[in-house]
Amino acid sequence: MAAETTTTEVRVRSRARHEPWLDRMVLPTLVVMAVVVGYPIVYTIALSVQNYNLLDFRPAAYVGAANYTKLAGDPIFWGSLANTAIYTFGSVGVSALLGLALALLMENLGGARFRAIRALLLTPWAVPFVVVAFLFRYMYLQNGGVINAVLLSTGIIDAPVPWLNSSTLALPAVMVANVWAMAPFFFLLLSAALSAIPNEVIESARVDRAGTWGMIWHIKLPFLRNPLLISSLLMVISNFNDFAKIWAMTQGGPGYSTSTLVVYVYRLAFERFEFGYASAVGVIWLTMLMVLAWIYMRVLRMESR
Amino acid sequence: MIRFDRRGLRLATISIAALVAGMGGAASAQDKITLTFANWAAAEGTTRPGIEKVIADFEAANPEIDVVSEAISFSEIARQLVLRARSGNPPDVAQIAGNDTVLLAFTGALEPLDGYVKENLAANLKQGADAGLRDDGGLFAFPWNQSPAGFWYNKEIMQKAGLDPNKPPRTIDELTAALAAIKSSQPDVIPLAIDTTNRAFALSSNWPWMKSFGAVPVGEGATGAESAEMKAYLSWMRKIAQAGYIDPGRRIGEFRPLAAQGHVAFIWDQVLLKGVMQGASKMSDDDFYKTWGVTTLPAGAGKPTTFEGGHQLVMFASGKQKEAAWKFIEYLATSPDAIANYTMSVNSSLPSIKATGKAELDAALGTPVFKAFSDEIIPTLAPQPYGPDFAAAATAIMAGVQEAVTGSQPIDDIAASIQLGLPQ
Repeated sequence: MAAETTTTEVRVRSRARHEPWLDRMVLPTLVVMAVVVGYPIVYTIALSVQNYNLLDFRPAAYVGAANYTKLAGDPIFWGSLANTAIYTFGSVGVSALLGLALALLMENLGGARFRAIRALLLTPWAVPFVVVAFLFRYMYLQNGGVINAVLLSTGIIDAPVPWLNSSTLALPAVMVANVWAMAPFFFLLLSAALSAIPNEVIESARVDRAGTWGMIWHIKLPFLRNPLLISSLLMVISNFNDFAKIWAMTQGGPGYSTSTLVVYVYRLAFERFEFGYASAVGVIWLTMLMVLAWIYMRVLRMESR
Repeated sequence: MIRFDRRGLRLATISIAALVAGMGGAASAQDKITLTFANWAAAEGTTRPGIEKVIADFEAANPEIDVVSEAISFSEIARQLVLRARSGNPPDVAQIAGNDTVLLAFTGALEPLDGYVKENLAANLKQGADAGLRDDGGLFAFPWNQSPAGFWYNKEIMQKAGLDPNKPPRTIDELTAALAAIKSSQPDVIPLAIDTTNRAFALSSNWPWMKSFGAVPVGEGATGAESAEMKAYLSWMRKIAQAGYIDPGRRIGEFRPLAAQGHVAFIWDQVLLKGVMQGASKMSDDDFYKTWGVTTLPAGAGKPTTFEGGHQLVMFASGKQKEAAWKFIEYLATSPDAIANYTMSVNSSLPSIKATGKAELDAALGTPVFKAFSDEIIPTLAPQPYGPDFAAAATAIMAGVQEAVTGSQPIDDIAASIQLGLPQ
């Protein structure tokens, strides 16, 4: 038996040795990838070491690492980076917890009524991001917004709250809108993962007299760990690039209190036309995204093992 | 030998005639000049019918020219035009305004227009209509219309607050007192509507307010963001925001429907406000003049000034049909039909020429609002520090204004942070 296994391994290794490192069949894919993905990345990196302003028709000048040096001392860049981290990890963390809680609550509820509630819970995920942004923008209005109107009429506040007009409240307010739109995604994914837990495992736990919390903590959460991790990483990457909600709600303000990296890059590139400097910010942003993507791939690989 | 019966002969004749007509049509289509016109007038519901009619009238009057209107939103047009100019694919003619006009000129992609403007047209242009539209190369944009901002006041709200409706505030102190009276008598009314968003337009709009305090943070004669005048302006903005006299974060366009419903006492807005409010409230001219008045900005330590929010027309140097493009520009800006059907009606702005050539149009310019703009407000037009650095300055200054209005950071720190963000 052992000898048989060794022979198979030798055959596989030998075949691997004879396989060309680059199969010609993958060439078309590589060409497409090089054009669609490779070229913009290489061009962005090339632009990041140039003083390139779109308004200036003179050829761009090579400036070496000057854009990166400028970036290191740029307080708006660091502020935007911090906002990106708070917005991304805060929104994803809260959404995941909310999605998990909803999935656990709705798990055993059957019947047409609960199916309708389940469908209702999923609707925010189907609303386009720009619509979500405008919806919340108008709900948050200091004068005439429904949130302030409700809070005032119930006596919870005695003066309208400047939700989007306060440097301290604006970012959390935008995050609430984001959580509202994102939590259903986690709810959907975790509901599917919950239903995939083998019945025998649940039954065994019941036989062992596991309580509700014990069941969640020791049985369900371990089963949900991988889907939760993968979906969270996916959402982290997606939120890192989120432009529509922030731009439509605050345009990065008041001041720079809700300015994220993507908003800052947009302002640099398409309001100030400073493509060189914007590209330098873009390269840093891309590097961080690639690290996140690498972690995501590692997690996927770990899960498949 | 081929024989034709009568029916066959008739069909053959018709076919040949159709072929000849088609060839003729094709030939005339080939001779036709096609102009591309990038504009936001066709992208907005209120102005689209007007601009489409004007274009159709122009095509009817000039059958050899076809105009292809490319609708691009106001907030996108500068970006698209710069990118198209860079990639060698600009339109022939474009509508543009404010700092965007100067940005486009800076690219060097615009055709100088001096050679096209005949003497009689130059003489008919209003004084100062082309101010800020010239550089070393000459006139880079033609003034399509004028739309400066004025200080609009709601007489009914003023009266309810115990103020004299015919005496709008002339100084910042008078204005602050009026705002307090309005807030205490009518808590549901927004006492003052000003745009405090973070965008280049907001700096244009707030620039005259800064000048009212004598502050010149950037540009010619700049005293920086840390001057006593700039701090006075920021402190005043904080004071009126904390007292609830302004509603921060709204674009000026979002105040207009509220103003039309009688929920705004004072609004710093362009001449087009009249048309927008009447469109929303269906108010007659008489009722409008009874309710609303417009005058110059209240002044503090500085003089009252205003900004030009009017639109310009530019021709791209790489265009192949320059004569036709100029004919179209001239038609839009000076033809009585275009002024009647677009400029003074749907766009609710003033023509850039002194005499339109039509008595009824010139008479319409004598109505209270247009007259106040022409006689009182336009003379206070002041240049703005437009150029490639304006957008960066706008981001820094308006971020500081927003911080002053909504935050609690000391004004000195805000002024220092604005100064740090200004283009060096």
